[in-house]
Amino acid sequence: MRGASNILTPAFRHDLIAGGVAGLIGGLVFWWALAAQGMAPDVPGLLGLHLLGAGVILHLLSSVLVGASFGAVLRYQPSGYAGTTSSGLLLGLLWWVAGPMSLGPLLEGAGPTWSIVEAQKVFPSLIGHLLYGGVTGLGFYIFVASYLYFRPRSEDLVPLPEVPKTRVLILGGGFGGIGTAQRLERLYSRVPGVEITLVSQSNYLLYTPMLAEVASSALEPQHISAPVRASCPHTRFHRGEVVDINTKDQVVRVRSGGSVPYEDLTYDRLVLALGSVANYFDLPGMAENSFKLKTLEDATRLRNHIIGLLEDVDVEPFDEERVSRLTFAVAGGGFAGIEAIAELFDMVHSVLHFYPTIQPPQLRFVLIHSRDRILPELGAQLGDYALRKLQARGIEFMLENRVTGAVPGAVLLGNGEILSTHTLVWTAGNQPNPLLKTLPCEKNRAGAVVVDGTLLVDGLTNVWAVGDCAQIPDPYNDGRPYPPTAQHALREGKVAAENIAAVIQGKPVKQFRFRAIGVLVGLGHRTAAAEIRGWRFSGLLAWLMWRTIYLSKLPGAEKKVRVALDWTIDLFFPRDIVVTSSLERNPILDGNPVPPASQEQPPDNGNDRTNAGDGTAGDGAE
Amino acid sequence: MKASQVLKNGVLPGGLAGLAGGLVLAAAMYELGRLDIFGQLAGVISQLAGFILVLAVSALLGAGFGVLVWYQRPNAGETLVWGLVYGVFWWYLGRLTMLPLLQGKGLTWDVDSARAAFPDLLGLILLGGIIGLAHVFLRRMFQVQAEAQQAGRASLFRGALAGLLSAYLLGVAADGQDQLLAFAGMAAGGSALAAWPVILLIGLLAGVGFAWLFTDSTGGAGVGLIRGIAYGFFWWVAGGLTLVPLITGSGLVWTATEVQIIFPTLPGYLLFGAAVALLYQFLGALIRLLFSEFLPGSSEEGLGTQGLRIVGRSGLAALVGGLLFSLVMWQTGFLPRVADLIGSSSPVTGFIVHLAIAGLIGLSYGILFRRQSYDVGSALGWGVSYGFFWAMLGPLTLMPVLLGGTPQWTADAAASVFPNLIGHLGYGAGLGVTFYILEARYSPWWVPRTEVQAARLERREEQVQTSGPALWTLLILLGLTLPILLAKGQGLTPVY
Ligand SMILES: Cc1cc2nc3c(=O)[nH]c(=O)nc-3n(C[C@H](O)[C@H](O)[C@H](O)COP(=O)(O)OP(=O)(O)OC[C@H]3O[C@@H](n4cnc5c(N)ncnc54)[C@H](O)[C@@H]3O)c2cc1C
Repeated sequence: MRGASNILTPAFRHDLIAGGVAGLIGGLVFWWALAAQGMAPDVPGLLGLHLLGAGVILHLLSSVLVGASFGAVLRYQPSGYAGTTSSGLLLGLLWWVAGPMSLGPLLEGAGPTWSIVEAQKVFPSLIGHLLYGGVTGLGFYIFVASYLYFRPRSEDLVPLPEVPKTRVLILGGGFGGIGTAQRLERLYSRVPGVEITLVSQSNYLLYTPMLAEVASSALEPQHISAPVRASCPHTRFHRGEVVDINTKDQVVRVRSGGSVPYEDLTYDRLVLALGSVANYFDLPGMAENSFKLKTLEDATRLRNHIIGLLEDVDVEPFDEERVSRLTFAVAGGGFAGIEAIAELFDMVHSVLHFYPTIQPPQLRFVLIHSRDRILPELGAQLGDYALRKLQARGIEFMLENRVTGAVPGAVLLGNGEILSTHTLVWTAGNQPNPLLKTLPCEKNRAGAVVVDGTLLVDGLTNVWAVGDCAQIPDPYNDGRPYPPTAQHALREGKVAAENIAAVIQGKPVKQFRFRAIGVLVGLGHRTAAAEIRGWRFSGLLAWLMWRTIYLSKLPGAEKKVRVALDWTIDLFFPRDIVVTSSLERNPILDGNPVPPASQEQPPDNGNDRTNAGDGTAGDGAE
Repeated sequence: MKASQVLKNGVLPGGLAGLAGGLVLAAAMYELGRLDIFGQLAGVISQLAGFILVLAVSALLGAGFGVLVWYQRPNAGETLVWGLVYGVFWWYLGRLTMLPLLQGKGLTWDVDSARAAFPDLLGLILLGGIIGLAHVFLRRMFQVQAEAQQAGRASLFRGALAGLLSAYLLGVAADGQDQLLAFAGMAAGGSALAAWPVILLIGLLAGVGFAWLFTDSTGGAGVGLIRGIAYGFFWWVAGGLTLVPLITGSGLVWTATEVQIIFPTLPGYLLFGAAVALLYQFLGALIRLLFSEFLPGSSEEGLGTQGLRIVGRSGLAALVGGLLFSLVMWQTGFLPRVADLIGSSSPVTGFIVHLAIAGLIGLSYGILFRRQSYDVGSALGWGVSYGFFWAMLGPLTLMPVLLGGTPQWTADAAASVFPNLIGHLGYGAGLGVTFYILEARYSPWWVPRTEVQAARLERREEQVQTSGPALWTLLILLGLTLPILLAKGQGLTPVY
């Protein structure tokens, strides 16, 4: 991408020319000095030609070329004549080493020896090269300086050119957004005039494939997230929430945390990479009574909740309450759901020895899935394998069933049953970011913006979309949309960046084509299922592959080391059960303070809730 | 630049500094009995004419120096380096080229004439050094806004400690080659017990002087190292070849044949200077680490990230440089000797050992010279300077020691490893430039991209104003010139 047009800036061109001219003068001085010593006929010049006739021409020609290379290396530096002259001397010396000491003997067929005798023989040439270097360096400086003096406006001496900037604005700091920014940074690493800005709510790229392990206490939350500022050091980063996108005036309104309530960012090219959010399909009570698994916060909340439940159960006297608290349900049998249930299973069993009143048979793990087969992305064989593996561990599967609603402590199922549980993880529905609904362009039923094969949004100019929020036709698959995965989002980002660069430079754009390399799903307990380029793997081998591949894709060396350490620690120690959230208020007390300690029995069950206050030992409560 | 200002604040102090240097030069020439030779130039054979001529020429050179360093930072140590390189250059331009022309003798650039003019080389270096030093102080006097930062007592003490330690190391290395007395300026047969105090005293003075001269110099440890070598060279000329013989009463010995005998003091002083600089910086870092508050640096990425980057970049850079070097080794049949380091004699083993060494040195380059190169020019400068440092430390010092001998600092040894010096320069060039390219590819500054360019440009301009370019040239010029001039006779046969 850095073509000749970029390298041959006016400044570089005049440096080359001035260097060449200065080199010619230096070469003349050099030749004259040798000639004055009567050496011209004796001193073998380049290619064994003596410094007469054709030899002189060759000598001068190479002087010009070497001088031009001085110009290219030294470059004009304002008020730096001392340094330039001195560096000229140095380069002259190095040319003596490279030329008469090395190339000369080589061309004569003798081969260089670099011995002191050889050096003494070509000592005159050393002085000559020194003189040549000094003259060329100083001459080069004087030429450029006077050129700039007499034509002051021929070029901006101020290095920051006032060229009109092209502002590329990227919305979203997930796989799609970061992929775009990184590729743009590479394409424009040396070119000023393109400004890359990225807006995102979170200041990190969340590595979602490992999110379930954060929820299960195997990995530390920060370890699977790479700060945007570290991944894209040359991108201007705004942490804030996009609240409005105006594609007509090319402005995006961002709500951020500073003293200004919101900010308007204008753009020349826009990339939408806002990802997706959970979709509850308006099922009653779902949003309030279930956990989702999309952000770090979600994962930490789920983890705290589950360990909190174990703590509660350890002191819970009533059996039904114990049962419902020890039942963990996950809705959705896709990747996220399967990984979540497997990881939760592992975590609870790994810490069970801390809770002596809980026996393994009391635990219930339930996965509710609307179809007859889990992991539809993986094909029947591996799906069945996963099902068998997980069932063998004791995980229950409710297939061809669905969750229709939730209340505190219970989940309603499509077949009319009620499942008593305090934990429902919702992974059964996602929808593209609802913000996109406001855009005046074509969208599919789920709400994803429809883009063409080059990722340009249909019906809008200068707007591209990638990742979960875009519907992108797959040419290998009869134009059916690509699946919403991280592998795709990352590569879509790169292609979007390349196409933006192509549009800026008026070059042809390219189609997005990507055949997924494979899919991997972790099943906990050192097993996994994988399908890579048609090959199927399962068990420990797949698990090792899962870990190696995902670790290698984790952005940044530092995070890789941290995750690897976390995993190693996990091999030898039980999972951490520190609950980082504070104790939730007990609903039974209904906001009343707990009565002071006394010998009397606590109120049993919810029946006494109304007289809970009266039951106290006649202190100031009344 | 305004002409009147340059005259007042550049040319005038320069000319005065030149006069001061001229007095010293004339005294030295008188001592050597060469003053009347200068008189010849004016057509009269008289000491007085020679004296006046030396003063006039020195004043002219000083004035020129004032213009040369006009834009440079008025830092004492850095101006000293500029003075040294200025002196060496005038030997080539003035003494070897212009003077014969003026005398109508015709140019003779051969080794013999250069050898005959060797005392003038030393004289001009001394003159350059004095002009540089005097110029800074005069310029500060003339300019109202004296921005000089004074060396604190703590840093002088640190310098003294660094100097003493380095002098001790120097003494040990010299003693191993029976050269201790040469360093102390004593005739053979003197007692080592008397030599030690002299050497330690030199160390003390040089250490304090280093702290004093380079107080407000910028740049990392590597830059300091190169500076230290140049400083060591100044001490070789001003101290080892001038003051010490004068004080011990053995008289100035400045001819090529005489200097040949005490050549071992040259690598000694250069390495000594490097040690002073490194120890000085090391002690400074230690003191900061132990006693001072943490100073938040905006460019720190943590040891792990930084370390991995350095290893990756310098590894590749060292490979490029090492392959260049191995061309020289292969051509001169040196590889078996490298293999000898691990007790083998096969060229293949030698090649592997060589690459391993190249990798280690490259790593040290990555640590010392991180973020010091702002363009290919300065990358080349630091690279070859570091290569020169290792040419002295490696084949002349470490290698013989590792092979069970003592350092080989003689003129003959230096001449015989000349191919190795060339190889080191090639190595340094490849190393420095590759490292720079890798470093610049990932712009290391935590600022948005457009500002990176501005930041780099600004730093590059800043570096041009330091003694960087002078340092590179000085080192390579000396590294190539001195062995050529001081090798014994034309018929010298290389060792391998
Ligand atoms: C638990 C789980 C496991 C997964 N496992 C895998 C897997 O193993 N392999 C795989 O390929 N894929 C996996 N995925 C899918 C993958 O995470 C997504 O496909 C991918 O993240 C999509 O990238 P994106 O850039 O489109 O959106 P996201 O990565 O979701 O990024 C959206 C970004 O936009 C920001 N944002 C959203 N709204 C706003 C707003 N209004 N203002 C500002 N910023 C906003 C967010 O902060 C976020 O940074 C998994 C997903 C989950 C939830």
